[in-house]
Amino acid sequence: MLLRETIIQAISSLAVNKLRSWLTIMGVAVGVFSIIAVMTALDAVDKSVESGLTSLGANTFQIQKNPATVFGSGHSRNLLANRKDITYQQALLFKKNMQSQARTIGFIIISPANQAKYANLSTNPDVTLTGGDENFSLANGFTVARGRNIAENDIRYARNTAVLGSEVAEKLFPSGENPQNRFIKVNGEVYNVVGVFEKKGAAFGQSQDNFVLIPITRYLDHINEKSSLSITIEALSRKQYQLAIDQAIGAMRLARGLSIKEKNDFEIRTNESLIDSFRDIKIAIGTGAFIISFMALLTAGVGIMNIMLVSVTERTREIGIRKSIGAPRRTILQQFLLESFFLSLVGGVIGILAGTTAGNVVAWKFNLPPIFPWIWITVSMVVCSGIGMAFGLFPAWKAANLDPVEALRPK
Amino acid sequence: MENEAVITMKSLCKFYEMGDQVVHALDAINLDFERNDYAAIMGPSGSGKSTLMNIIGCLDTPTSGSYELNHQSVAEMDDDELARIRNKEIGFVFQTFNLLPRLNCLRNVELPLIYAGVPPEERLQRAEEALIKVGLKERMTHKPAELSGGQIQRVAIARALINKPSIILADEPTGNLDTATSHDIMDIFGALSNAGNTIILITHEEDIARYTRRIIRLRDGKIESDNRQ
Ligand SMILES: Nc1ncnc2c1ncn2[C@@H]1O[C@H](COP(=O)(O)OP(=O)(O)OP(=O)(O)O)[C@@H](O)[C@H]1O
Ligand SMILES: [Mg+2]
Repeated sequence: MLLRETIIQAISSLAVNKLRSWLTIMGVAVGVFSIIAVMTALDAVDKSVESGLTSLGANTFQIQKNPATVFGSGHSRNLLANRKDITYQQALLFKKNMQSQARTIGFIIISPANQAKYANLSTNPDVTLTGGDENFSLANGFTVARGRNIAENDIRYARNTAVLGSEVAEKLFPSGENPQNRFIKVNGEVYNVVGVFEKKGAAFGQSQDNFVLIPITRYLDHINEKSSLSITIEALSRKQYQLAIDQAIGAMRLARGLSIKEKNDFEIRTNESLIDSFRDIKIAIGTGAFIISFMALLTAGVGIMNIMLVSVTERTREIGIRKSIGAPRRTILQQFLLESFFLSLVGGVIGILAGTTAGNVVAWKFNLPPIFPWIWITVSMVVCSGIGMAFGLFPAWKAANLDPVEALRPK
Repeated sequence: MENEAVITMKSLCKFYEMGDQVVHALDAINLDFERNDYAAIMGPSGSGKSTLMNIIGCLDTPTSGSYELNHQSVAEMDDDELARIRNKEIGFVFQTFNLLPRLNCLRNVELPLIYAGVPPEERLQRAEEALIKVGLKERMTHKPAELSGGQIQRVAIARALINKPSIILADEPTGNLDTATSHDIMDIFGALSNAGNTIILITHEEDIARYTRRIIRLRDGKIESDNRQ
């Protein structure tokens, strides 16, 4: 009953200083916006990572020169930069030692930005040229949709055969023409298309189908851009997965010629380690966003306190009048607390709406389904109301404890 | 029970410390008011009239001495009880009116009823009645700024009366009004006195004081004289 009157009074008091109220509200909204937008975007990317983690097949792990993500000081970065590339010779040596403990062992070497051409059509210069062997498709979870995979003979004779990722196939053969036995050009080199892979979809917001696979031997002979090989190993079974990793480390150390004292100069990547490294990124971004939002909300809170203190000073007389005709202390306290509460609540709602929208724009850019981060929305609402109350408490307390005689004395 | 004391003050003092100097705003006041008293407090500026009135109205507390309102010691009351007394037992009329400028007359007059927890329809109805009683039937939805001084003071009186308090206190209620309007306002107080209310008012003007039945003169925080007429 009295609460209803208090709410009406609080709202109509805020309405008197519309500009001031809105500015304070915007302060809160910005803080909430940043945390909601970042968290929504992160959640969206997270979903995409989960779906993209099939990129490594089951029971499969990779050996690469460097970890997927690098955190830490310049020193650890330098150590990584000094690592030597994994060469084809090392890879072959590794395969010889490891062959009996693995179902398949595949090599890949990639060159990231290439342009593929067929007749008068060409792709964007963002096609990955992959040198691989017959095990590439198995180890990376691709199946052949049309034609055939790279064969052992292609490797042995370094033939100029190619299997297309589905995206490249769609771009170069848009009318559905069979690409088999057609000749395409990648960076000036001619390849005979022998097959097309099934579409795999996007992971980490990037297409996994935008590549051309050629025999690794051909790649090493003809492509000048040499980078480190990565080796994909499929364990014999789930049970022997961890054992296979241990054995692979031994075999790789042997192939790299490391002495007992030297540390591994290569990385094992598993699906788990990919998830872990993504989690690191997520935590880093999330922490950053959290700190920024926290600062913004703190600033907004100080803004609320400031405005409420000004308001109490301006309305000293009103408070005195209300007290003189019998307003109890807690009613005055409630009225001012409600005002700061509304300021932060409205700010919170605006921030949540804008933040969810912005986060979902990011999700949409990544071709991801829309996301509503209920947890963060709830957290924001609670934090906002908390801030409104906490920073409004002192001004409200000050108002409630005004001495009516002092408050009513003409200034 | 005709001469029952509703207000009893014994050796009531109010001191203000100003640096190393102590101002004796009220100095050992002994004063009673009976039910249906109609009293004027007079005295030179700074003699302690407003201080006394604020203490009687439970807006202020004495430094020492006792003050009993309806046989209850005010010193022992907590903040909420004092608020309840200001709301229900006492109607206060100020020289500077003290209305909320953003609210119209009706809303101003109904304010004490909000704090008394009266439902909205009843509040409005009672506020209308109170405004009609002070002769402001035509101006109910006006804001204070749209009214004359005399009209504003009537609104203030209507607000003081709305909760049917037994005691009405007025600190220079005619101080800002011209002579004719002052006498109109005093007629209202006269009618209230006839209706049985206890009325205490502060005034500087002898002809205003003559409307009352008792004149108390203060000087330097002490009672100089207390005459019934
Ligand atoms: N808050 C205060 N701090 C210090 N001194 C005060 C305070 N309030 C009142 N006084 C002093 O107490 C004395 C009595 O003041 P009070 O307001 O009661 O006088 P008054 O009789 O109402 O005068 P007036 O006729 O001018 O209204 C004065 O000397 C005044 O200066
Ligand atoms: Mg005075």
